[in-house]
Amino acid sequence: MNENTELVARTEQNVERVNRLPLTVPVVDIFENDHEILLHADMPGVAKEDISVDIDNGKMTLSGTRQLHLTGAATWREFADTEFRRVFSVPQSIDIDKVHAELKDGVLRLHLPKSEAAKPRQIEIKVG
Amino acid sequence: MITRMNNLDSLLGAMDLFRNRMNTMFNEFDRGVGWTGAETYPRTNLCDTGDNLEVIAELPGVSKADVNVKIQGNYLEISGTRKSDIPEGYKVHRIERETATFSRSFTLPYDVDANQVTATLKDGLLKMTLPKSEAAKPKQININ
Repeated sequence: MNENTELVARTEQNVERVNRLPLTVPVVDIFENDHEILLHADMPGVAKEDISVDIDNGKMTLSGTRQLHLTGAATWREFADTEFRRVFSVPQSIDIDKVHAELKDGVLRLHLPKSEAAKPRQIEIKVG
Repeated sequence: MITRMNNLDSLLGAMDLFRNRMNTMFNEFDRGVGWTGAETYPRTNLCDTGDNLEVIAELPGVSKADVNVKIQGNYLEISGTRKSDIPEGYKVHRIERETATFSRSFTLPYDVDANQVTATLKDGLLKMTLPKSEAAKPKQININ
């Protein structure tokens, strides 16, 4: 018989403590024209370097964290540190390499350009 | 029959939690804001840092020119417009971000010196530092 009891004797390790921020779903506007899909998302208080946009396997995860660094005694508090996160399905026709975004006044404007093949094309009919 | 102490503990813990919730709820009512739901716009935080009161308001997508702040004694009013930013020539799929005029007024716990108020608007947050008026500032008393 195997005398190795390590499997049972091993003390349970402490689960890693992760300081998770509460999640907020940002409100978004979505527009489209012939060249791109444009997404506006409200992310008040999020700095540019704290925003990440990940596109993987047809899913786009938009995430931004807000750290308010409040000082003093709170008389009232209606909003706090949070993570804005929302996941979208991205159509295959998007040219992922050309996705770009800008942040202004706490609004993220994300441009998702369509690939050349997906753009509408007018076919000219020749007279035979 | 004696049940496990454990159960009693968790029961009392739950009651504590409930009591805390009730307390914060009553505090909210005391300051006249009531329930802060989605219709409360803009949402604000008020901090007391001793000499100053600091107000932060969430104003995403609002430019400097579209916000007005009025202060008189211990009355503060934040108003303005959230303009629509629908780009030209685009088809609209979804609109969740509201566009409207807004106005919210507060009674501050102290009188503030309106001449020395500083306000900045960055990343959609309006931060204001409101110095308390001389009479409202905390004073160190020397004991002889």
